[in-house]
Amino acid sequence: MSNAKSLKIMTEFQHLDNLMDAKASFEKAHPDVVITIEQAADHAESHRALQSDEAPDIVESGGWSIFNRKGLFVDLLPLVEETPGLKEDLNPGVMRVAGKDGTLPGLPVDVALPLILYKRELFDKAGLPYPREGWTWEEMIETAKKLTLRNERGVATQFGFGFGVDVEEIEPFVMRNGGRYVSADGTTARGYADQPAVIEAYRLLIDAYRVHRVIRRPGEPSEAGELHDGFALVFGFAWFAGAVVRYGLEDKYGVVGLPRMPGGENANMLYMGAAGISAKSPNRELAWAFLRHYVLERPEAFRHANTLPITKSLAERSGYTDNPVWRRFIEEMDVVQPSGFYLSERWNSSRQLINEEIIRMINEGADVAQTIRGWTRFA
Amino acid sequence: MFKCTRLPASHSMRAAETGENGMRDGNVLDPGVANNAEAAKESADLGTELAERARAGDTEAFGELIERHRSRAKSWAERMTGDPHLADDIVQDALIRAFMHIGSLQDANRFLPWLHRIVRNQANMRLRRGGPHRREKPFASFEAREGGSVVWDNLDSILDHLTRSASKAAIKEDDPAEHLMRKEMYETIHSVLHCLTKKEREIFEAYFFKQLSPDEIAAMYGMTTGSIYTYIHRSRQKLRQEQIRVSLGLLPEKGGAILARNKRLQLAEWPAHAFVPTTMVDRLGHMLATMGDSRDIAELMGLSGFAFRMQISAKTTFADGIYMFDWRETLISFARDLGYETALVCGQLSDFPAPLLGAVEKFPVVLPIEEAVLPFIRQTIDSGRPVLYFDTSAARPFVHEWSLIFGYDDERRVVHLTDVMRPEGKTLSYEDVADNPVRFLAALTRQADRDQTASLPGTRDTRRKRLAEKSVRFAVSFAKNRSAYRPMTSYLSYATGLAAYDTWIGHLRRGPGSPPNRYGMGHLAHAYSRTKSCAAAYLRTVPFEGEAMRFALLASEAYEQAAEALRELEELTPFVKTSELMQTDLCERCAGLLEQARTFEASAIGYLEKTMTFLERGTSQ
Repeated sequence: MSNAKSLKIMTEFQHLDNLMDAKASFEKAHPDVVITIEQAADHAESHRALQSDEAPDIVESGGWSIFNRKGLFVDLLPLVEETPGLKEDLNPGVMRVAGKDGTLPGLPVDVALPLILYKRELFDKAGLPYPREGWTWEEMIETAKKLTLRNERGVATQFGFGFGVDVEEIEPFVMRNGGRYVSADGTTARGYADQPAVIEAYRLLIDAYRVHRVIRRPGEPSEAGELHDGFALVFGFAWFAGAVVRYGLEDKYGVVGLPRMPGGENANMLYMGAAGISAKSPNRELAWAFLRHYVLERPEAFRHANTLPITKSLAERSGYTDNPVWRRFIEEMDVVQPSGFYLSERWNSSRQLINEEIIRMINEGADVAQTIRGWTRFA
Repeated sequence: MFKCTRLPASHSMRAAETGENGMRDGNVLDPGVANNAEAAKESADLGTELAERARAGDTEAFGELIERHRSRAKSWAERMTGDPHLADDIVQDALIRAFMHIGSLQDANRFLPWLHRIVRNQANMRLRRGGPHRREKPFASFEAREGGSVVWDNLDSILDHLTRSASKAAIKEDDPAEHLMRKEMYETIHSVLHCLTKKEREIFEAYFFKQLSPDEIAAMYGMTTGSIYTYIHRSRQKLRQEQIRVSLGLLPEKGGAILARNKRLQLAEWPAHAFVPTTMVDRLGHMLATMGDSRDIAELMGLSGFAFRMQISAKTTFADGIYMFDWRETLISFARDLGYETALVCGQLSDFPAPLLGAVEKFPVVLPIEEAVLPFIRQTIDSGRPVLYFDTSAARPFVHEWSLIFGYDDERRVVHLTDVMRPEGKTLSYEDVADNPVRFLAALTRQADRDQTASLPGTRDTRRKRLAEKSVRFAVSFAKNRSAYRPMTSYLSYATGLAAYDTWIGHLRRGPGSPPNRYGMGHLAHAYSRTKSCAAAYLRTVPFEGEAMRFALLASEAYEQAAEALRELEELTPFVKTSELMQTDLCERCAGLLEQARTFEASAIGYLEKTMTFLERGTSQ
């Protein structure tokens, strides 16, 4: 068997089921091809492998960090254009985020975005109507206040809104208020993170923790259980929705878009990793054939998935467009925008330093405007 | 360069807390709390300690120090300028200069006056720039000024100061800050004089140091007075250029009189049997031995708590759990237990993906510039101490490990460092060191009072016992804590202690569709089999008595059996670089061995709990 018919794949994912299934079906269809799979512990290991003399043909990463490095990957756009119907089939929102300087360094995998999932039972119990598309932040907070229950000790037995503390997850609200953390070219946060639209979005959010007390503060005692127990509105990513679908809970949960912010922009974020072909690969054609097979041609991969398909045809063939929960997620892909962490590696690397400051605003009442204006140092 | 000292938020929080209590500075107590003498002393001690560490090159300490003093510096600058925006700029400039020159601060107790002077000088310079000369003041105009202050890092101002009479300059000699500044000034000038030719230098020294007039110098050399002025002018120009290079930490221009330096320390013997794969502890042991303080490696593993740590990633059998702890806090605290203070340079680069995100996630983002790390390396090596360095290019099968930098060579632009797989050591280029995506360098300094206290009768034994009790308490608490280290990065989590066995076994039994990572398996088995052996060896030497000691010895035996099971595991999955997939039967055999090891370690923890009970009772019966 010649080397030309072997493919080496490096993946950062710990669960190999999906990749091994794709390997088996591809090898079956191409009996002269042998695929080897190697795991990388993190982006650093993938990056090192790509720079080595024995670079894998394909690298699959759970993040976008290595795909931002110039020269490591083959631009897939020409290959996309050569494939009949593919360009039109690819979701334009995902492509808007994945495109880098007019190139496509990888096919997005592990795609997810957030929406609000609401627990019908808790609304029914409170006699409240379910949220509707186009609702406002103010309406969401009013609803969450009515759905936050505390016992005689002041400990919440139910929270109105289930939301974590993360600069990345707050970004959709910033975007929807017309703000951005960093410039479109990622070179600076000055004139972006420090602008009123960002500060206003944060003020509203911090008030939800501190004034309205509808979100659990970091370290706050709680008797509300897990996210699927005592939380009426859940800021839920595709993986939360995946669990809802997997456990057949579609009748218990409804899904609705993120609330409208005062800034009035319709936007959302997107998490994704990617699978790309190493610029050093001598087997580009074969690698592209495998990528198409692995990412674009296997609806069965979405049978029990927590992620979103990146083509319209795959969304249909996998049943996503017929499912009441997944359908709304697919629609939302139209409005996704590139997040700060895709645009600036410096901003991305500072994530936890920024999160510590967010916690200070929530738990210690640190001045919101002053704190956020200081974030220009992170990009 | 300054960015690498940016303060982690946790430190800011601590600084803010002390601020709320009225403790604004390390050396000066706010009048409102003057009666709180104890708090004042504590704060002053902390300020001095921070200044000491900053002087030794610890950028973390410098960051904390400036956070404590930033608002005060701003108020000084604002008082001088009446302009809050200009004051911000002045403080920023002053802090950059303070950072660049902190090594020249002679007395850590005098940090505040020293900083005050720098702020004042920066303010003066800014105010002058706004005057008729704007960007630069001609040298002649300095001469007309009498009694004005000197801008210490402005060469023209220093030279002007030198040209004034020695008696006038000496008026301020009683001022310690002035004294320090003068010392720094002479050091600054001498550090740049090498760029002059022999003749330029002689004329320069005659004019500025010996205070001779151009006419006198012309007579001495048989030259015209005009040509002496030309020499002085040209020398000033060259010195100014060189001063910029020196202040940026750059090497002298080619042809300069100062030769590129190199130094290589002779490391102490470190036989293979002393090696432990927990390389932070291993390298610390080697470092201490080189500094004349040899310690038993099992003792170091025990005292540091690493003999009792085990962490497994929730993802799969990746080996990253070995490295998941607070590097800064752990190292500082352990070194202190051993009688050393730690100076640190740390950060992460955003230009390259950093490994071990869960451990480095809160490191400040720094720039890949040599000047941020090489002065620290040179200074430490020059003082005869190796530098603890996190090497992300360790030879396989290791990936990234702590090493010791024991030499540098400015001419070849390389550092010499250790590598587990290369007993002869290796070199890394200065670029490689600057480009390391994880920046973590540390130097240890013996605590000043250590030698005195260590020699007191009974002190050493008491201290040893106290530390042993501490490590046993840590062992029990770590074993029972299911998640002792929680990164902020939400998708990373690690099972710890006895629960780590369960997670590890779970990875092995996930089924053929999702096999464990074989490479990581080998690394984990290699590291943790040795870890458990160290636990066993350490517990045999703890200074307990009676029942407490008996149970410690039983725990030691149980750890030895756990180690034996893990050694068998290592035989099944040797530590080699491999991408092979583990078959189900192999996974099952490994899981069985881990179950055995878990049982033994659970027994060990039970015995250690009994040890603690007897220790707490204070009885040795």
